[in-house]
Amino acid sequence: MPARGRASSRTRMDVDSADSIDAGAVKKAILNRLHGRTLLPELVGLDAPFDSVFSLLSRTVASAEGNTALLIGPRGSGKSSIVQKSLDMLERNHRGTQQTSGTPSYHVVRLNGFIHTNDKIALRDIARQLLIKQDLEDILIGSFSDAFTYILNLMRTSGDEASMPPVLFILEEFDLLAQHPKQSLLYTLFDIAQSQQTPIAVLGVTARIDVMDLLEKRVKSRFSHRQIHACNAKTLDDFILIARVALSIHSSDQQQHQITKAFADTFNSKVSELLSTESVLSYISEVFDIGKDIRQVLRTFVVAVSKISDSQPYIDIAHVKPAIARERESAKMQILGSISLLDLCLIISMKSLVQSGNSKYNFEMVYNEYKTFMSRHMIAASGGGAMKVYKKPVALKAFETLVELEIVRPILTSAVLSEAGSGASGRNDLLAGSAQGVRAPKEYRMVQLMLEPGQVLELVSQRLDVPVVIKRWAQQ
Amino acid sequence: MSTEDVNAQLSEKFPGRSEQIDQLLSLLGEPTDASPGCIFVYGPSASGKTTVLQSLFSHYQAGETRMAYVSSVECFTARLLFERTLNAWAGHVPSKENAYSNYRKCDSLVDFVARVSELLGDEEQAETHYLVVDQAERLRGTSVLTSLVRLSELLGLRANVCVVLVSTVVWDKFRVRHGGATDPTLVFFPRYTKAQTLDILAHDCPTGEPPGFFLTFVDALYEVFHRNSTSVQELRHLVAMLYPKFVQPVFEGQATRSEFSRLFKLCQPYFSAASERLYLREISTSEWQRVAPASAKNRAEDVAQAIYELADGSGSGIMDLPYYTKFLLVAGYLASYNPSRLDMQYFARGRDPSAKGRKRKRQAEDSLGGQKRQQLLGPRAFAIERLLAIFYSIVAEAVDSSVDVQVQIASLVTLRLFTRTSSGDRLDGVKCRCNVGLETIRAISRSVQFEVDRFLYDFA
Repeated sequence: MPARGRASSRTRMDVDSADSIDAGAVKKAILNRLHGRTLLPELVGLDAPFDSVFSLLSRTVASAEGNTALLIGPRGSGKSSIVQKSLDMLERNHRGTQQTSGTPSYHVVRLNGFIHTNDKIALRDIARQLLIKQDLEDILIGSFSDAFTYILNLMRTSGDEASMPPVLFILEEFDLLAQHPKQSLLYTLFDIAQSQQTPIAVLGVTARIDVMDLLEKRVKSRFSHRQIHACNAKTLDDFILIARVALSIHSSDQQQHQITKAFADTFNSKVSELLSTESVLSYISEVFDIGKDIRQVLRTFVVAVSKISDSQPYIDIAHVKPAIARERESAKMQILGSISLLDLCLIISMKSLVQSGNSKYNFEMVYNEYKTFMSRHMIAASGGGAMKVYKKPVALKAFETLVELEIVRPILTSAVLSEAGSGASGRNDLLAGSAQGVRAPKEYRMVQLMLEPGQVLELVSQRLDVPVVIKRWAQQ
Repeated sequence: MSTEDVNAQLSEKFPGRSEQIDQLLSLLGEPTDASPGCIFVYGPSASGKTTVLQSLFSHYQAGETRMAYVSSVECFTARLLFERTLNAWAGHVPSKENAYSNYRKCDSLVDFVARVSELLGDEEQAETHYLVVDQAERLRGTSVLTSLVRLSELLGLRANVCVVLVSTVVWDKFRVRHGGATDPTLVFFPRYTKAQTLDILAHDCPTGEPPGFFLTFVDALYEVFHRNSTSVQELRHLVAMLYPKFVQPVFEGQATRSEFSRLFKLCQPYFSAASERLYLREISTSEWQRVAPASAKNRAEDVAQAIYELADGSGSGIMDLPYYTKFLLVAGYLASYNPSRLDMQYFARGRDPSAKGRKRKRQAEDSLGGQKRQQLLGPRAFAIERLLAIFYSIVAEAVDSSVDVQVQIASLVTLRLFTRTSSGDRLDGVKCRCNVGLETIRAISRSVQFEVDRFLYDFA
């Protein structure tokens, strides 16, 4: 991983004069970090969990211990980074022995509860990852633990002596793996780890704090109950530090991309300056206060970083600000910002229907409301503008664009839901469930407006081309 | 080609989209740059999402094997989507030679992940592979969506894969229940503003026509139509339909190009027809072309008349039902919308509904204009027996016994004019609902000299 981008920087260096700064390489290194393709050079506030994970895994590799543990922490708190960094470090420590003996000194098997949706799939993939080429179809018929032991024994005989290399099992989305029927995968893994015949380490990674409750009693009794907790950044300073680490040039980058120390220092001081700017700081603290998701912050900087070029080798705040503005905007209001006046009138009709106590309504009711209002106020407005009352089919077409944007959503009754089954759940248009004939013509399907009355007012006040009459109607 | 060149070229090609193109280009970077795992492109329809993305990727020279474009309308199962993607990335085209087989069979996520990592190899300098999924909102409710959002995470750190989801629906409505994935980078395509719309339509200027004149026309048309639809597609259609009519008087020597308001006045009947008939596609393009061109010779009323007749003529053919079946349909409508407690008043033989006492009238007025009247709530289910009773009541003469009413009801159900609401295996107590609108019922009643409005309760 760390070697990524080396080749390109070399070729670029040949072209450029030797002392010029290779902005492309800097950009690439930082972008890789922002997108999570490479790890951050240092883990902020995660030293304790990292030490536990690393020592656990290295004890299995070095002294053939069987170990089981769970790494628990909220999304985005750095669990995967801890695991990855531990594995990287193990690889570095054991690279020497691997080269001398010719066979790998340990194996890593990664399972993800998200991909490996049942034990059979998981088993097949374990075999694939352990590079067992043999056709497994006939073994897979038997019980899981038999098949699994068979696979491990294949490994044993393929080695020189009877002892087999340790296997590190990384189980991501552990909670999903625990939902497999009978939990035979987890049972077998924990059982083997406990029984000392084969040195394996099982590290479950999950975001669920109550994951222990998901385990069956027999599985739980074989688990070591070792829980390692990774937390989100505790203070805002830590949070900002993570962003700074991601955006700065580090000594490892300097060596890799032949970046002069002077350039790195100016670059880093510019980054610190950027992060202490009022607007950026308030944005970061907003994210910290709401979700503590560092990935959101890093994502915001992507566009600005990708603008780094030889002529402009530093992160420019001018590119950060629009990205922050984009993050803050409400997508729903944005997409509604430019709807046609007729659409807006229909939205206001629905709002006034809601205010008069209707929790659900159909197109006919909305159109009736619209028509009543228009006919009542057209005389008053006749002096001002050319507002016409649109006919029903035209209004229906406008209504359907609102449905397409899912600003208006059909109410699915339980009868329709059960009739439509799971297959139609992806459909949200007015015609959902119509094949069964259980629903009325689409003008009569009950719908709901997915906007608050306040949002409707905001929408109306945002626009400049709304006639006064309509504005007043919205404010009623 | 450098990124800047692509940027300039595309921005010129797509007026008003330079901000989005710039944002996308900086997100995607150069082929070997790391790219975000998932980009979510959203915006209303006809805002150029798919077109911009496709030409963007073709400029990337990723069109060959590094970009897979799938539409979730076509690929409605996970397997189709995965196999299409693999085909595109592997450069495999199903053809006669390979018996139209796919690159690999792949029907689960675990297979897909394994195949993709095989395909992309383990190079340090892998170029980004892109997967563009159009109409991504249809993937919701399946596990495919979650797996696509997290694809780069699932493939491991080395894989350089970027999934671009395209949708008209905002991301808020995509958030997966089972958390996990981070929010993708959002790219918003707004609707075109007026100036941008005019820029786009300027490309449509017919050869030989002065662009300035054409644009003045488009401008005027935009002012007329933007209040009910701001979609560029709709406007383009209208321009293509209306412009020939508009310039016709110029060719016939009845007006000059400088007399804009006069031309506009001549074209007025077409505009009013277009606002409904053309916009709703009630008149097809070929029918429209047969309509007489605007000229000083034709009176405006005649033209309007001709247009309306055209539209009516195309619509009424489907209602050419047998005489008694028409009555059955009307009876169904009445049964669907009238409350059954008033059937006695309306349909009892020998009574004239309009002569009924004041009591009913007052009731009607009470609820008239109410938000819960049946007219607004839609048709209710009725029992076949009630339908038959109303039918025999509204048919003036004694019905010929050879008319098999039950067969006619069955055929109305087949035609979807009635929908059956009771379950299909029930033989007795069948319930139906009338599926037809008031306008159609009025037209049908007129054709059999039946005054349906006298029998409708609480209609406005």
